[in-house]
Amino acid sequence: MAESFVEQVVASVRHWFCMEVPNRTARLMIADLETIIADFEAVRDRGRFEDEPCDFEVALQESKERT
Amino acid sequence: MTDEVPASHSDALTGLTLVEAVDAMRCGEITAEAMTTACLQRIERYDGRLNATIWIEAGPALEAAAEADRRRRAGAGLGPLHGLPMANKDMFYQAGRPCTCGSRILRDFRPDITATVIERLEMAGAITLGGLNMAEFAHNPTGHNAFGDCHNPWKPDYVTGGSSSGSGAAVAARFVSASLGSDTGGSIRMPASACGVTGLKPTQTRVSRYGAMPLSFSCDNLGPLARTARDCARVLHVIAGADAKDPTSAHEPVPDYEAMLDADLRGCRIGVPRGFLLEGVDPAVQQAFDTSLEVLRGRGATVFSVALPVMDEVTAYSAVVSRAEGSATHMRWARDHPGDYAPHVSGRIYPGFAVPAVYYIEALRRRGPVLRVFAREVFGQVDVIATPTLPGQIPTLAETDIDTGDADALRRYSRLGSNVRWVSYLGLPAISVPCGFDGNGMPIGLQLVGRPFAEGRLLKTADALQSDTDWHRRAPVLHG
Repeated sequence: MAESFVEQVVASVRHWFCMEVPNRTARLMIADLETIIADFEAVRDRGRFEDEPCDFEVALQESKERT
Repeated sequence: MTDEVPASHSDALTGLTLVEAVDAMRCGEITAEAMTTACLQRIERYDGRLNATIWIEAGPALEAAAEADRRRRAGAGLGPLHGLPMANKDMFYQAGRPCTCGSRILRDFRPDITATVIERLEMAGAITLGGLNMAEFAHNPTGHNAFGDCHNPWKPDYVTGGSSSGSGAAVAARFVSASLGSDTGGSIRMPASACGVTGLKPTQTRVSRYGAMPLSFSCDNLGPLARTARDCARVLHVIAGADAKDPTSAHEPVPDYEAMLDADLRGCRIGVPRGFLLEGVDPAVQQAFDTSLEVLRGRGATVFSVALPVMDEVTAYSAVVSRAEGSATHMRWARDHPGDYAPHVSGRIYPGFAVPAVYYIEALRRRGPVLRVFAREVFGQVDVIATPTLPGQIPTLAETDIDTGDADALRRYSRLGSNVRWVSYLGLPAISVPCGFDGNGMPIGLQLVGRPFAEGRLLKTADALQSDTDWHRRAPVLHG
């Protein structure tokens, strides 16, 4: 399964970016993507957030200390 | 170079903090030329072993120092960094001067613009000596580099932390008393901690990024590494504030940070996170962390535990943003010149090309709402969050060389940033302050995280710690 995931990623990057996997380190780090996907899917649609758009810079201003 | 400054006098000069040095130069006790010469001599004497610098231009620096001295003698107005020699991470553009970004690819790059932060430092009186070593394109947390690894002044076999490796090493080694670095996922705080200096990552948008090498444009920040919180306060006051050349920079007023440093923490609520940030922390690090909290209590702070919400979201989304943006910047070079990168850099860039755009957009779209929830639930209870900057003992360069293919090296490498990365996605300000030494004699850092634009509170808290401890005053013994 892990090998097939790596090969899928290699094929995808080749298709979209005409880029070959550069070295063994890259192959090792592709494995991280599986964790990233799992982490991402685990938090999707938890429903803790408002659906209306919230600009990040606005949130920074809203969250600052009030004196 | 001008006449040599005797070694003992030279060491006395380079031993000064930024504020001590500038104050002495402003009142004429010492000259900028003597200070600059002392820094250059120290670099020449010791950098062969540390590899903290990539390029140094002594001639222009000494000319600028002589001009600074002339201005003082003429009674001209003097800036808050008058005569101060600085060398910065080699990723800030200066028209006509080298800017390698720590890479072979940009080995011969000479930008035709100058970064706003460099312009502001020089307008305030700082003198640029040169560019410092860094992780190639800021792409690692250790200090490995194809130009030659940067070595920790406390023990050269150990990592400096990265990616502002040369900045941490140069300040610790007393080559300069302050240096600019960049922090996208901990790249100021990690080297500050590992090298025993103070490093401040400002709030996202606080400091202009015009003319600075991009890594991950949503999370890139520029800030100082220096000996003390007061030194960082002085530099931040100079570089912070809106910049027409960087439309993402905030119009938030810039306070007088130094005036806020009164060491009085009464009313300050410090939260110690429950959960993974303190799990598996090395015992020596834990002890130093606990001791520093006691010191802060002694200054009037209250300390209690706090749960950090939405950390799963922060972890998931920040990984997507950093992978996608870190790769997008490199698409052309990664396709056309993959062999010009170090293997660990091209290896890290490559997987980002497989991150789906939908993930990336969702991760960015959630950033505001996640920050809102985090701020409401955490900063309603505490003013400052405290963690160890690095959870474990500092590893050696050999132990974290992932180009060997060693799985343990990759694990150690990834573990380095576990306490600092989350702050960047939230855009919060954070500072790392020296708070002890581990069993190997390597520095330990305390990380303090605050609300957006609460740099003053963080500097005040760090300064209070430094008022009652001397970790930041200890210096490594160097060998030429």
